[in-house]
Amino acid sequence: MNRAEREKWYEYHSGKEGIPVEYLKRDFEDELSGKNAMDDPLEIPDKMDVIYKYSYGQQSRFFRELRENKKIYGAKCNQCSKVYCPPRATCSFCYEPTEWVPLEGTGIITACTVQYFTTSAFIKKLPFICAYIKLDGTNFIMMTNIEAKDVSQIDVGTRVKAHFREERHGAITDVYFKPIEQE
Amino acid sequence: MRKVAIVGMGTTKFKARWLDKTYYELAFDAGKMAMEDAGINRKQIDCAVYGIYNDFFQRQYQPDAFVHDYLGLGLKPMVRVNSGGATGGSALRIGYAEVASGLYDICLVLGVEKCNDCYNYEVQTTTPEVLRAILYTADMTYDNPAGRTAASGFALAVIAHMKKYGNPTEEQMAKVSVKNHMNATKNPIAQSPKILTIEDVLNSRKIVEPFKFYDNCLYTEGSSAVILASEAVARELTDKPVWITGVGASADYVMPGNRPNIYTFESSRQAAKRAYQMAGIKDPIKELDLAELHDAFTGTEIMAYEDCFFCEEGQGGSLIDNETVMPYGKLPVNLSGGLIGCGHAVGATGIMQTYEVALHLRDEAGERQLKNARRGLVQSIGGTLCTWTVCLVLERED
Repeated sequence: MNRAEREKWYEYHSGKEGIPVEYLKRDFEDELSGKNAMDDPLEIPDKMDVIYKYSYGQQSRFFRELRENKKIYGAKCNQCSKVYCPPRATCSFCYEPTEWVPLEGTGIITACTVQYFTTSAFIKKLPFICAYIKLDGTNFIMMTNIEAKDVSQIDVGTRVKAHFREERHGAITDVYFKPIEQE
Repeated sequence: MRKVAIVGMGTTKFKARWLDKTYYELAFDAGKMAMEDAGINRKQIDCAVYGIYNDFFQRQYQPDAFVHDYLGLGLKPMVRVNSGGATGGSALRIGYAEVASGLYDICLVLGVEKCNDCYNYEVQTTTPEVLRAILYTADMTYDNPAGRTAASGFALAVIAHMKKYGNPTEEQMAKVSVKNHMNATKNPIAQSPKILTIEDVLNSRKIVEPFKFYDNCLYTEGSSAVILASEAVARELTDKPVWITGVGASADYVMPGNRPNIYTFESSRQAAKRAYQMAGIKDPIKELDLAELHDAFTGTEIMAYEDCFFCEEGQGGSLIDNETVMPYGKLPVNLSGGLIGCGHAVGATGIMQTYEVALHLRDEAGERQLKNARRGLVQSIGGTLCTWTVCLVLERED
């Protein structure tokens, strides 16, 4: 391909896959300028992408409460009285419907680790803490990120409290947790 | 149920990148090898089970259809299985059932995975994008947004085990890494043969507390296949059948909040128990000659010693310290190099592990051949904190 054709190729793929032109040039200039043999494996940029208007179904109220009222709700089973958070509409053990109960937003870390390497989507956040926490008044654990000044201060048994982002989207990331002592 | 034997097998090399093959071209190679090994052609295959894990890796939904087509098996029944890291084990379990039930006589079980077409253009490596593809398997509403990787999930379990039992220590985990990389040096298909010291492992860069770089398996491209046959057919085809005498499987609650604890993997315990029961094994450490355990991480190999009942709960670390699991030990674990040394081509992994055990049972493992290998265990696990486990017991004829 000549220079003009290559530029068009970069523009096309940058638009199609959302990869900056400079990155495409780094990886494909040799190929497009004819450095590879005709029978060499040919690599192409590509992307699999689906856009959603996803329904939270029976969990919808949980996310509205986060977004509108900065409140965390659990789901209490009418039969066994266990409280789920993350919530579910029916108890998976009793097969009975649950009802919404407001939670305090405090809890305890039951397992935690520090991530030093991660996926493309989270690479700018490193290092960060992933933990399972058990919220007070619930019987189950949930996965969350813990924000802390000193990651070595975080351990199993550390008490944590919910904080809410200024800008909330109606997603689980509207809430994050910090150790209570560090407030 | 009818007896089921492995009558043929084949595998491609396990490596980081098969730049010159697509996933169905890779699958074709393994399938052809397995058919040649069994002395049959494609027309004699009655049905197929494909183990393919991640559609994003393959850049294709329903990739099984294209594998089936490429292998020239059109109009024969087939089904694709996906249970995360345990995909290969699950494919074998379904293949076993196809033949044991009497529905079919000859079943191709084939696993394939090509992950490293995923690519992060910014940092110019594959892994962060591979992990992004995998993160779609975490609960999309509650877990995925926290950025938890497979490694951090298993790290949480290993930390919980450490807190309860004081092991595995970081040094014990390093020993497992040294062992598996070393074992891989004798396996011609292995991706990561290496002579390492304990210090090399301990000093490698941190990935997620407590795992360092060498505590993790690598992402691998490869394909492995076995041909399963009924007893009558097996007798005609081979004088070295490898019998599948035990099959155990369990799938745990994927939301860890619904489990009593995370310091042991109950699905693994249930699967091992069932496989041993079926094979008539009472004391696995005495009655097994070798095992291929799913060492996605060093710490989980140590947890697997306990979950497969090689020792009491909480004693896992001692089996690497007292060298029980070394190639010269009482019960060698991962002579192939395991996922850490040989590689983790997800859908193919459980089938590669089965290939390895069968190779020893057929006395065809070359330089790493275990003497008098008569009975072996394959453990295939996958999913968030070991959602799935499949265990298989394999035995030689005499």
